[in-house]
Amino acid sequence: MLKYTIKRVGLAIVSVLIVSAITFFAMNLIPGGPFNKEKASSPAVQQELERRYNLDKPVPEQYVLYMKNVLHGDWGVSLKSGRDIWTDIQMKFAVSAKLGGSAALVAIIFGIILGSIAALTRNKLPDRMIVFLTTLGTAMPSFVLATLLLLVFCLQLKIIPVWSSSNPNYVLPIIALSIYPMAYITRLTKTSMLDALNQDYIRTAKAKGVPAVWMIFKHALRNALIPVITYVGPMVAYILTGSMVVENIFTIGGLGTSFVTSITNRDYTTIMATTLFLAILMVVANLLTDLAYKLVDPRITFE
Amino acid sequence: MKKIVSMLLIAAMSIGLMACGGGNNDQGASNDAAVDTTTLKINLASEPDYLDPALNSSVDGGCLAVNSFVGLHTYDAEGTLIPAIASEYSVSEDGTVYTFKLIESKWSNGDALTAKDFVYSWNRVADPATAADYSYLFAIIATNEDGTLKIEAPDDYTFVVTLTNPCPYFLDLTAFPTFFPVHQASVEAANPDGTNPGAWAQEAGFVCNGAYTLESWAHNESMVYVKNENYYDAANVTMDTLEFMLSADDTAIYAAYNSNDLDFIDSVPNDEIAAVINNPDFYIVDQLGTYYIGFNVNDPLFEGKTVEQAAKMRQALSLMMDRSYIAEEIGQTGQVPADAFVPQGMADGNGGIFNTADDEGYYDATTTGLTQAPAAMALLEEAGYTFTDNGDGTYEVSPAISMTYLTNEGTGHEAIAQVLQADFATIGIDMEIKVEEWNVFLDDRKNGNFTIAREGWVADYNDPINMLEIFLSTSGNNDMQLGKEKNSYAPDWTEYDALLAEILTTTDFANRVNLMHQAEDMLMDTWAVIPLYYYNDVYMQKDNVDGVFSTVFGMKYFMYSTKSAE
Repeated sequence: MLKYTIKRVGLAIVSVLIVSAITFFAMNLIPGGPFNKEKASSPAVQQELERRYNLDKPVPEQYVLYMKNVLHGDWGVSLKSGRDIWTDIQMKFAVSAKLGGSAALVAIIFGIILGSIAALTRNKLPDRMIVFLTTLGTAMPSFVLATLLLLVFCLQLKIIPVWSSSNPNYVLPIIALSIYPMAYITRLTKTSMLDALNQDYIRTAKAKGVPAVWMIFKHALRNALIPVITYVGPMVAYILTGSMVVENIFTIGGLGTSFVTSITNRDYTTIMATTLFLAILMVVANLLTDLAYKLVDPRITFE
Repeated sequence: MKKIVSMLLIAAMSIGLMACGGGNNDQGASNDAAVDTTTLKINLASEPDYLDPALNSSVDGGCLAVNSFVGLHTYDAEGTLIPAIASEYSVSEDGTVYTFKLIESKWSNGDALTAKDFVYSWNRVADPATAADYSYLFAIIATNEDGTLKIEAPDDYTFVVTLTNPCPYFLDLTAFPTFFPVHQASVEAANPDGTNPGAWAQEAGFVCNGAYTLESWAHNESMVYVKNENYYDAANVTMDTLEFMLSADDTAIYAAYNSNDLDFIDSVPNDEIAAVINNPDFYIVDQLGTYYIGFNVNDPLFEGKTVEQAAKMRQALSLMMDRSYIAEEIGQTGQVPADAFVPQGMADGNGGIFNTADDEGYYDATTTGLTQAPAAMALLEEAGYTFTDNGDGTYEVSPAISMTYLTNEGTGHEAIAQVLQADFATIGIDMEIKVEEWNVFLDDRKNGNFTIAREGWVADYNDPINMLEIFLSTSGNNDMQLGKEKNSYAPDWTEYDALLAEILTTTDFANRVNLMHQAEDMLMDTWAVIPLYYYNDVYMQKDNVDGVFSTVFGMKYFMYSTKSAE
């Protein structure tokens, strides 16, 4: 287990390094630059800015300089606003993680419960209703859902303000963020639960007279969770880093918008930081997922 | 089994209730709450890049700057320049030395604001190490041998500025955000090594001298500005608090306005304009700027033509552009079709207006479009093209003319491109539309990688030179590439450069107006710059709000506003 973990961590570091190199060179290939404006600034200003941020050096040299700084904990400043990137990412991630974490929790808990209900009431009314709702949930794009929530709760029912500087309301964005993964987890749980319920060991358990609750939670659900865990790992990494659509509609200062605007702004340092941040989260999530398999199913070996 | 299912259902419901309960502590959503008449809730745009007035170059950032900083002068509700930190000034006989008498005023932290602050602040913007976008505005001020500006503070409340030449718009600039003072101690403390000049104003609580100080800033969500008791005119500030929604999402902004979570919005979604344009809370105000179409004069399309023929081809296309249709159907807010490049209503620097609606203009902007097809075809025939009538009101041109129109993403921009495409098609000209992402678009346009492109310019100060300077051959904004390459079909641009140099140095303001008219004539003669309409500015403001005013540069002043309970 320890050996495996060390190996995985080593691989993870290599992956992150590869991601950093690809991103760095790819972003320098896109036309346009961070200091392009409708009203062009003078060549002297452009020059000074390029010098200040090392953009006047060859790209490979810029990469080496950048990585050296990052390894020393210096993520630089945003080329667009001059704000310290690490402070910025921490602040935005705190917002996104709060929202995304709640949304992930809602999605996982409701997904597993609804999926189990659907499996246990197969082809009966609750199952049918759940299947209908999850189909709707997976089919509806988040911008439609978010706008719909805004329309119903803020403009029609008027129970939640569209925007407030004093106490921003996070209920709607959490709903908007959680519906899709919740629907997906429901379907996964249902399928694999049905699979598990048909296994011999369940029949054996029933024959032995194991109480139904015990049978479902200990025997069926536990085995049914493997596919769910596979999905949940990367899903959590994504949901924690925010969603541009939801953030824009509900005016939330999360990390999701930075992924997109940093690219349109050619804000190189922010592009790198957001990408690396997501990459690191992603490899950590994958690592944890693999370790979670072992907890759920001790038969799984890593060697 | 049933028991288990119902158990699960109960679990699901109780978690659901818990989750909702968590968010419901926010009782009394704004809709039901009593109207807070001391707070104005505003949306201008998304998070500004810089709040440092020296580094900001956006209009929304400028609005924040004029509400939290103030310079030597400012504007009143009528758009008149009025004294602010400078109580009076005198000008030397030759018009180059300005002596300002300053009032005794304070920074928001209580420090005294003196002429030394202006010396520091202006030199800071002009210093290339600061890399301020608007540093070029300081080029009108004379420099010392060490490169610093020729500005002095003989005592704490006297500020002397020496210009290289008399400048009719200099006083206007003293009300422009780039010329506002900044607090030296704060700036230097936040940027000890000189690599991040804007660092001092990146969080709430920075020192300023305007009507409001920034009390809190939730990045990309909201900003709260509160009244600055040390503001020189604090006694007359009627609004206590300004809250800004930091968003550029049309849907969210418009929804927030309609749910009464905002009192003032500076943008209205394009497809809502028709529905609200006649409402009393919809405002249209003047703005100095021109939406125009630009041709790259070095484009291979004109190869083999003479300079005159190339200009006639462009003039023909200008005639085909249906400006009234574009202004009415796409602009929708009463934009005036443009018949000159310098926007109507701009001052001429000699006490008059440069172009007025009554002036003749370079063509009749209200009749351009399909009815001008015969005239357009006649011009193209002079450039060596022939036309055959298709019998259905359309024509075929030989040899074929095809070109690509470059624009950035945007409903309005793309719709205008389509109108032009249809207009040109009637005389057989094939125009393709290429929509590019903003940053790529700027690059391609600047480098002349286009034949015809969408352009626009909103003035920074009220003088035609601001519009004419764009086309200096050395200008970074000269997307038309005038004077940038020598070839047989592009106009010789040395005379224009010389003319502008003369305008910048002349001491005779009456003659300066003539020279600027000459420059505009020269520019319009190339037909490389084709004005479509003059910009105006729209915003929405709730009926219970009063006293917000705006300048022709798009700056909004909120401090003297009031809000009634109904």
